[in-house]
Amino acid sequence: MKLRFALLLTLALSISAIPAYAHHSFAAEFDGTKPVRLVGKITRVEWTNPHTYFYLDVVDAQGKVTNWGVEGASPGALSRRGWKREDLKIGGKVIVEGYRAKDGSNLADGRLVTLPDGRKVYGGSPGDGGPGDDGTDHGSLPGTSK
Amino acid sequence: MSLHALFMALAHSPLGHAMQASKWDFAIVEMVHLLALAVLGGSVLVVDLRLLGVLLKGESARSIGRDLGRLLLGSLLVMILSGVALLSEEAGKCYYSPAFRCKMALLTAATVFYFTLHRRALIHAGSGNPNLWCRLAAAVSLLLWLGVGIAGRVIGLL
Amino acid sequence: MPILQHLCQLLYDSSFGTMIRESNNAFPIIESVHVLSITLLFGTIAILDLRMLGLVLRPIPITRVAQAVLPLTWSGFVVSFVSGFLLFWAEAAKNYSNPAFRAKLVLLALAGLNPLIFHTSIYRRVHQWESLHISPWRARAAAIASLTLWSGVIIAGRAIAYF
Repeated sequence: MKLRFALLLTLALSISAIPAYAHHSFAAEFDGTKPVRLVGKITRVEWTNPHTYFYLDVVDAQGKVTNWGVEGASPGALSRRGWKREDLKIGGKVIVEGYRAKDGSNLADGRLVTLPDGRKVYGGSPGDGGPGDDGTDHGSLPGTSK
Repeated sequence: MSLHALFMALAHSPLGHAMQASKWDFAIVEMVHLLALAVLGGSVLVVDLRLLGVLLKGESARSIGRDLGRLLLGSLLVMILSGVALLSEEAGKCYYSPAFRCKMALLTAATVFYFTLHRRALIHAGSGNPNLWCRLAAAVSLLLWLGVGIAGRVIGLL
Repeated sequence: MPILQHLCQLLYDSSFGTMIRESNNAFPIIESVHVLSITLLFGTIAILDLRMLGLVLRPIPITRVAQAVLPLTWSGFVVSFVSGFLLFWAEAAKNYSNPAFRAKLVLLALAGLNPLIFHTSIYRRVHQWESLHISPWRARAAAIASLTLWSGVIIAGRAIAYF
């Protein structure tokens, strides 16, 4: 009875909005076949629970500016990996190596982020199955075989 | 087959693929896991509070234990089944997660304790006031199950 | 902006709400307390509901089960409510437009109304039926409503993350 109710409620509540906070492993939300390398200036930072986000303006070869979102783990989890909110300065240059969202939107997960001060920090969790995952807290570069 | 290979096999199984691909499938399994958690926790609470001599005094601890034990084991089964499905979605992460390993250790301890010393304590408690050993058994049980719940939460936080 | 939305925005923008939302540990701890409190709240009331449906603890009169369980349920409700309010404070502006959150509040209100109706009607005569293994249909209806509505609250609560 509870499951039927759950299914009915889920059906009733379904909308087409992109979920911002859905629990997911890498595979559920991001596409391992769509690697991205984003270089740009940080425009906005949302250092929030349950997921952090930062946005950057990426300028392509034609000079067109696209704003990309990058999803990260919670503030607590990131701080344990050496990130601080202050590391993401507005206007600072950041390099994001990661994978694009499955729905094709300008959203990526920050697997390997080069912060404005030059430090490289890893954005995945050990064993989450995403590229760069080698079962440790440091990861390896996206694209290396796993 | 090594433990790591077992986890990877689960991740690559049809169940694993289904859980990884669909966010709503995963959400529904999570919800079932959560509802079963509430029922499991409630049964554990009432049984152990009786064993502590806090409520339903005068009623047979053994009967209460046996009666609610069906609810407890039923919800535990649902949690294990839904838990395996959840595991198949992030097997690699759980394999490496100290919180997951801790949870499994506590779950094993809680379950073994339930079927052995805890059962004996319920029988021993009878319908009167429980002695120190019975109350200790209740306290251990409550702590172990609480530990399982907390460790489960920490998996997602690390 | 509608006044309710304005209030939510005020809470969201407040330093207290922001502190929780951007915290390393406070948010995860409050959220964990909130999630685990469902055992105290739903897990215990479910036992009373199941007793009324004649599925557990049949030899024990309803009044004794209620006496044992209701203080736990109330404690669970207080913990859920306080932790839930803190989470809401941190996320208020986002929750305002979240359909799962709105559904959760509606279901919560109904889940609170159900025992109110129950206790002022059929339960008044409980001493007439407290020892029955299966309670009268009005009590069983209240039990089913309770199980369904609280399950709905928990499900909607989990769904918040998906919208």
